[in-house]
Amino acid sequence: MIGGMKTIAVIFGGRSTEHDVSIVTALASIIKPLELTKQYRVEPIYISKDGDWYWDQKLKNIDLYQSGEIEEFMRKAPKVHLLFDNGLTLVKSSQFAGRKQYKKIDVVFPAMHGTHGEDGELMGVLEMANVPYVGCGLAASAVAMDKVLSKQVTESAGIASTPWTWFYSSDLPRRHSEIMKEVEKLAYPIFVKPAHLGSSIGITRVESRDMLMNALEVAAHYDDKVIVEQGVANLIEVTLPIMGNEDPLPALLEQPMLHAEDFFDFETKYMQGGKKGGKKGGAEQGAQGYSKIPADIPKDLYDKAVKLGIDSYKAVGCSGIARIDMLIDGKSQQVMFNEINPLPGSLYSHNWKQAGVSGVDLVSRLVAYAEQRWQSRQKIATNFATNYLKQF
Amino acid sequence: MQIVVDSLLIDYSKIGSGKNTIVLLHGWGDSRQTFEFLEKELVNTYTVISLDLPGFGKSQAPDTAWDLADYASIVSKFLQKLNIREVYALVGHSNGGALAIFASGTGVINPDKLVLIAASGIRNRQKGKRLAIKLVAKTGKVATFWLPKNQKQKLRKRLHGSIGSDMFVAPHLQETYKKTVRHDVQAEASKITKPTLLIYGENDKATPPIYGEIYHNLIHDSVLEIIGGTGHFVHKDKPAQTLKLIEDFLR
Repeated sequence: MIGGMKTIAVIFGGRSTEHDVSIVTALASIIKPLELTKQYRVEPIYISKDGDWYWDQKLKNIDLYQSGEIEEFMRKAPKVHLLFDNGLTLVKSSQFAGRKQYKKIDVVFPAMHGTHGEDGELMGVLEMANVPYVGCGLAASAVAMDKVLSKQVTESAGIASTPWTWFYSSDLPRRHSEIMKEVEKLAYPIFVKPAHLGSSIGITRVESRDMLMNALEVAAHYDDKVIVEQGVANLIEVTLPIMGNEDPLPALLEQPMLHAEDFFDFETKYMQGGKKGGKKGGAEQGAQGYSKIPADIPKDLYDKAVKLGIDSYKAVGCSGIARIDMLIDGKSQQVMFNEINPLPGSLYSHNWKQAGVSGVDLVSRLVAYAEQRWQSRQKIATNFATNYLKQF
Repeated sequence: MQIVVDSLLIDYSKIGSGKNTIVLLHGWGDSRQTFEFLEKELVNTYTVISLDLPGFGKSQAPDTAWDLADYASIVSKFLQKLNIREVYALVGHSNGGALAIFASGTGVINPDKLVLIAASGIRNRQKGKRLAIKLVAKTGKVATFWLPKNQKQKLRKRLHGSIGSDMFVAPHLQETYKKTVRHDVQAEASKITKPTLLIYGENDKATPPIYGEIYHNLIHDSVLEIIGGTGHFVHKDKPAQTLKLIEDFLR
């Protein structure tokens, strides 16, 4: 700590298809508000697409990435070393011969999306260093980023989801007729997805059998596990950002309008007075495109979805922050768990803001949750005296 | 849309519901986006399939160096996998044109009609150019070995550019490029019996109109159209005119 200011390392970039999204999350939604608090000194750590780690104040500047100057920077800058000294210290060679620069880190704020970061790998390193870090822990991150595991975990906690199945990609060539048979127990349309990847990579909506095998092969090409889910009729998609440790706090239930056409349909509908009473929730353009915040659904359904979101958060063992995606059958009013995102893009700060939590407030609370979890973990005994070595 | 063919992920689009199917093949360093205009217009009458060839656009690159035969084979397998038994027309631009000639001439794909836009594949006329490329590649390597990596790449890129080599357009496919550029498809062209439309740009430096004349002589049932005031990307420079020629020919 320097003059009462805590040092926070924000780690971003990484070997992931969401590398660029991570830069924006880190710079705009984490570093900027952290610095506005004037309580933290931020040390940015950038992981290149090749997996090299860099630490430099210059890395806070978005122009560096937008202009492509980052390539030149990486050619010249020394890479950072991590020193585990019952905590985490950053080390790098300075411009002066033989001199090294050290920086003890008080809290780490991971801003990674997707593989090799959001999936628990980075959390494992931080656990080993015994440094407090923001967001879900190793196990919750790993479960959340595996769509098969997260469904198995939530299902065992009695949380509903749409009918689904899964298989190992390596089994597809050997057992393809068996797998097809299993998959076809689900009703079309079905969604075929790689188990681990984010966004829409490798995902196919399959309407009929003639498209099925190709879709299974594509998903299997991207991942070692493939999940297949039955489409939901009268679909309303909602998502809920949640933060906290033991007592999770929900933001507002958000209804993404994924396609521009949908958005315009919605606008047209309202503009033409198709629905009396005007809009309940305004249409916001947030990090993920247009969405309605709060979701425009009946109150009991809204409450049901919030409860299912919090139940899922707890079942997977999330802490710090996460976002739960849910599917609702508008007719039967059934709410179903879909997936968990342990580090929502831009922290979903647009939603939190509407829920009354400013960007500055959000990052401060997340840092406090990180410290609280770390402190409670320190109380758990990890060693005890034995005479095992003496007996050896 | 994506599909896996021979363990390679291929990005493609299949649009329209016409009885007859048209398959579009883009050129070296290009992608299926090059045909955006043609695709949008042709879809009113035909089923249009357009794919990113392996190593280009959003399709996965092959692990080994490929030649035209490998590309022809993957396109054929891709069509089989999509259950396309009959191709009404194969349309190729530049290297995609050479590929279309190779695939049709060797019978790997049997379209009813061929449309070749600024098709390449005439290689022995360019002995001088190839020699220059070879020379530049060799001397370039020696002359730049002492430079830092990025400077080296920049300088070599400029050297290659100055003699009109596409070598650096897709750096990950340099070996494939060398194999493809060596392949002359005049022999395959002479075996084509199907009606063929040849379109060339008057000011095309990469595949000059003389190529069109050569193919016109080799392909018995062919028509040659040279569009004035256009370069190598005829279909982009004069999209409406190119489309009109294609539509009339396919009718």
